[in-house]
Amino acid sequence: MDTTLQEKQAGSLESDAPDTQNKAPTSVDRKGDNAPMDKLIADAKQVVGNGFVENLASKGMDWVESGRQGSVVHDSNGNKFIDCYCSSGTYNLGRKNPAIARELKQAINETDQGNFVMISREKAMLSERLARFTPSGLDCFLFTVVRGEAVDAACKLARGYTERYQLITVNGGCYGQTVFAMTLSERADKKDFGSLIPDVQTIPFNDIDAAGRSITRNTAAVILEPVQTENNCRTADKDYLVALRTFCDQTGALLIFDESQTGFGRTGEKFASDYFGVLPDIMLLGEALGGGMFPFGAMVFTSSVKTFFDAHPLIHLMTFGGHDVGCRVAAAALTEYDQIQPWQNAKKQGNILKKWLQELVDANPELKSVQGIGLMLSLEFESAEAADRFCRSAIQQGVLVKTGEIAKHSVIIRPPLTINDQDLDKIVTGIEKALGSGGAH
Amino acid sequence: MNQTSRQTISRKERGQIFDAFGKHISKGQIRYLTAGHLDVLEGERDGIRFYESQSGKPYIDGFSSAGCFNVGRCNRQVIQKLEAAADDYDMGTYGMLSAPKIRLAKLLADVALGDLNRVLLCGTGADAVEGALKLARGATGRNEIVSMVKAYHGHSGMSLSANGKDHYKELFQPLMPGFRFALFGDLKAIRQMVSERTAAIILEPIQGEGGIHVATDEYLRGLREICNQYGIMLIFDEIQTGFGRTGRLWASEHSGVIPDMMVLAKSMGGGLYPNAAILYRDRSELTGYVDGNPGFHSSMGGGTDLGCIVSASVIEYIVENKIWENVEKMGDRLLGGLRRIKEENPGLIVEVRGRGMMVGVEYKQEFMGILMADCLATHGMFAAYSANAPQVMRFQFPTAATAEDIDEALEIVRKAIRLSKLYLLLLGPLSRIPFVRTMLNKGDILVTVNSWLRKIAFWE
Repeated sequence: MDTTLQEKQAGSLESDAPDTQNKAPTSVDRKGDNAPMDKLIADAKQVVGNGFVENLASKGMDWVESGRQGSVVHDSNGNKFIDCYCSSGTYNLGRKNPAIARELKQAINETDQGNFVMISREKAMLSERLARFTPSGLDCFLFTVVRGEAVDAACKLARGYTERYQLITVNGGCYGQTVFAMTLSERADKKDFGSLIPDVQTIPFNDIDAAGRSITRNTAAVILEPVQTENNCRTADKDYLVALRTFCDQTGALLIFDESQTGFGRTGEKFASDYFGVLPDIMLLGEALGGGMFPFGAMVFTSSVKTFFDAHPLIHLMTFGGHDVGCRVAAAALTEYDQIQPWQNAKKQGNILKKWLQELVDANPELKSVQGIGLMLSLEFESAEAADRFCRSAIQQGVLVKTGEIAKHSVIIRPPLTINDQDLDKIVTGIEKALGSGGAH
Repeated sequence: MNQTSRQTISRKERGQIFDAFGKHISKGQIRYLTAGHLDVLEGERDGIRFYESQSGKPYIDGFSSAGCFNVGRCNRQVIQKLEAAADDYDMGTYGMLSAPKIRLAKLLADVALGDLNRVLLCGTGADAVEGALKLARGATGRNEIVSMVKAYHGHSGMSLSANGKDHYKELFQPLMPGFRFALFGDLKAIRQMVSERTAAIILEPIQGEGGIHVATDEYLRGLREICNQYGIMLIFDEIQTGFGRTGRLWASEHSGVIPDMMVLAKSMGGGLYPNAAILYRDRSELTGYVDGNPGFHSSMGGGTDLGCIVSASVIEYIVENKIWENVEKMGDRLLGGLRRIKEENPGLIVEVRGRGMMVGVEYKQEFMGILMADCLATHGMFAAYSANAPQVMRFQFPTAATAEDIDEALEIVRKAIRLSKLYLLLLGPLSRIPFVRTMLNKGDILVTVNSWLRKIAFWE
């Protein structure tokens, strides 16, 4: 066993350490002590799976992510890409944000994850910080780890608090991989996993009448993403969200916004609830809270809903949720958000980018539309194949983009919110070139 | 270490922390923890101890966040790796490949048993349990899952559906249909429950929250046989038992039974950075399903670049130091010591059981769990009773504990028992009345009674 381990250590981390200064666009021969891309990919096929690597290849993503900084990510051959995927909206503050990285290094020298059931200074301090950051009235928290878990927690909280069962969501949603989240989501392979959570009803998005008919005194919660990023950035009408708020108030159902992707400035406002002027009872925050340096999310709720947790302590446990190191990292990310206020840049650059993309749509028969708000924009293609083809070309042109998880014929463009004019130009140029060459592949 | 040099906080600051926690997170949790004397703020953390923030009082960590600190608290080697990594990496892009991810996946496959050599990286234990159950249902096309009474697999929807205690589920019903529960250790019950409609049997080789129940080798071999016979996926949840906790690298080494899937988390993150994984056997049903459905369980926030560097460094540390050897020796010392304490105190303890440094002490009365938590804390040990079996006190020290540490821990247990007897002078006669005993064993009432006892206790 030991020998195997030492062999593994041969491809040491230092040798693989990405060189962010390396601007050479061509592939370089790796020395013997480095793990070359081909070797890594072959290993991945073996331990992670052929299908996994083939799927990445179909998206043009079958390369090894290496150096990263700001808006840019490198592959292990030194090729550079502007990151317009941002791990589904994690990197609002850019890749490897230096201030947050510094705090991570500091925090691990002073604390660790802590015993998860306990009260801690780190949890308390983050909760105070976050309460000043989130919309007023939403100042209670459960700290989470992976996307989806917060959705599960919210569904449980809604059922527990209202003592009702029924959960209502809209079609076209994408919430995560845990089972409440999956039951609410629109995904083709759901049937593979047998009987999921009962008493979940799906109603058509943006249809006020359907919502009025469906939301009753039996409804525990209505849950939706104000912008369905993975579904061609389909955006809720303000009137629709206002109507949902009214129906929920009338029936005592809770309104839940999944802001995993819309939160922290992505829409051009701090939160989508600010953008639309509608306040939910529960709001879910994604990995953007950890600034991309630590897996950390949160369920945010009103003090009224919190009475459930007061009455039922330790009813929803998570070993890694509210991790003391994570709390420190998230607090540092909040300081960055407060200082940079990236929603302002997102609004400005988003408007410019959308105008450019609209011109491209007008000029290019391959493109059907551009959708979305702020820096969550989506190009709609004729087919999923055309969208995949475009992604491969765009990646070749140095722009990392990915198709939507739900609308597979859409390509989402969501760069870091801190993106500057120069990198925005590179995105536009890259997309133009990719469209020009796309048909040939 | 010198206690006085430690940074401490003021009483006022402690109050502010509790106020903020109560206001923004849960007042109920404070009430609950206070009753068990678990309202301790962890300040500096080091090795097998932490130091209370206000007083600087050292506590032996007998809980290890349910088995997260197998490399010790704040392990320098792991910290240095993460520190260096933070210069070059962030979380990375979920669903994409990187050297740290591939390297960790290979490392896991290398150190896992048998043909458990395919890896799916996840974010948390519950997330990994969800992934494993999805894989079992997807690969077999079957719906039924058999779990165990008192099982504990997490709190997200599917892992909660597999939880063997109603307390955690009843407020959130209806959860997933298709889950059935067998008594842990009862092969006959399993035989009656399974059929060709069963997708998976999931269990912890040693039930942690359920009260430290060790599965016998015969039981596990019997399960393997039944699973082979019906084409059922056998899933071991080694979230608490893995990474050296039981005196072997994996608990499954004791019986030699190789499951179809093994679920890992907790110590995989080295106590510093979340990470989790599913290892599954290289057999066509499983690999075929994953190859055909590569995105079936892509967990965002799981298998991050930084997390994988931490986990790789944890595995290196554990393997280089063969920590399971110390665990086995110290586990025996702990078990032996606790059994002597049982003999010294007739009528108090029903059983001492466990394997390696995963040891449980079952008291006669349910309320003794919370009472002993309090008494142990008074004497400088943090220990928790099992969530799904409050009469069982768990001892899961960081695995680097030395003979001196174990002896010190045993001495604390002795002192705590003497202290608990003072409480029992009062509670004991009352608890002989069946009605009062029933009341005392109810969590809510016990919390109130114990809080009240703590307030009047002259010995604190």
